[in-house]
Amino acid sequence: MRSRSVLCTAAVGALALVMYAVPAVAHHAFGAEFDADAPIQLTGEIVKLEWVNPHSWIHIEITNDDGSKEVWMVEGGTPNVLVRRGLRRECLPIGTTLVVDGFQTKDLTLKRANGRDVTFPDGRKFFLGSSGTGAPDDGAEQRGRGTEGRC
Amino acid sequence: MLEGRAAARVERGARASDPDRAAPAVTGNTGGYNNVYIDRGKIVAIVDGQPRSSLLTTPPDGRIPAMSPMGEKRMEEYRAFRAQFGRYDNPETRPLGERCMMSFGSSAGPPMIPNNFYNNNYTIVQTADYVMIQTEMVHDTRIIRLGEPGRLPEHMRPWMGDSWGHWEGDVLVVETTNINPMQTFSRFPPSKDRKVTERFSRVDEETILYEFTIEDPAYSELWGGQIPFKAFDDLLYEYSCHEGNYALDNILRGARYQERQGNQPEQR
Repeated sequence: MRSRSVLCTAAVGALALVMYAVPAVAHHAFGAEFDADAPIQLTGEIVKLEWVNPHSWIHIEITNDDGSKEVWMVEGGTPNVLVRRGLRRECLPIGTTLVVDGFQTKDLTLKRANGRDVTFPDGRKFFLGSSGTGAPDDGAEQRGRGTEGRC
Repeated sequence: MLEGRAAARVERGARASDPDRAAPAVTGNTGGYNNVYIDRGKIVAIVDGQPRSSLLTTPPDGRIPAMSPMGEKRMEEYRAFRAQFGRYDNPETRPLGERCMMSFGSSAGPPMIPNNFYNNNYTIVQTADYVMIQTEMVHDTRIIRLGEPGRLPEHMRPWMGDSWGHWEGDVLVVETTNINPMQTFSRFPPSKDRKVTERFSRVDEETILYEFTIEDPAYSELWGGQIPFKAFDDLLYEYSCHEGNYALDNILRGARYQERQGNQPEQR
């Protein structure tokens, strides 16, 4: 049997904000997962990015004061939020140095944190918001089905 | 005004940070979703070249109409029913998204309304007999049968209801009844007679115009809207909902802990 498939995304724009008070995404209790008393700042190179829903994990390798190295996992936006920003899997900038501000997980033995601010060393943001509605090729500024960006 | 606010938000989020900043301060709060997690864009949706200030087009004021007297009565009854239970008494009173049962808001629908966070992405697979719509968040798949409807009996209420489609020229028209009463919409369950009609029109290579109409005697009039769906060259990623699985358990356990400490959990 012949079948066709289409992948598409709904334009959201600023509108849905006005129309609905969508219930908070309560499955993700930042306060339950991360320790408000354990703020951290990490500087390191991207070694891996896990493309998983509902949140990606950026792995960065940091160097401690004693010269030892550790890989930390930093939580970020969903894979398709990254795609909308032009950060496609095939152009993931492995080796890029990032500075991450966040809070460590409550289990302090895990080298994990949520990303509150993720920048390059000069302070520029790693995650820049999309133009248009955020949907790819929405007839506005963005063109090319979301392929435009830093790739 | 909407776009101005949205553009200002994108601009604020893009502003460089101080490269010599310190780690975040201890304020007792880890923060929630911000620009790292959410990307809302900065313009409104455009249909037929027309920027839209609401996704709703029926009624013409772009607002959900008032409840009918029957709807008001049902809402009161629903509130009274919910008031018997504490907010964290049991899994059944937690939202479907939190329980990893269905999408947050009405992403899978019907109607398929984008949430304002992320993953408003669909894969539509079409055969001669069926159309399948998979919603990225939270892994919902609706199977629409094509042809003369053979409706389910009234008591059978599957997730996303009982959808039947037919072609009107190149337009796929889908009518859905038997919507599960737990699929609340604006925190309110649909009435048992709700019928949602959807129209999927391929307006160009890149765009499906999605239109929906809701007939529900709980409302004083029909309502519906138009949403452009745009082609997207990437994958839907699996939504395993692990965090929800853990969170639901921990939410209930936390409430029991508070009770043992003599503190009542917050009630709705």
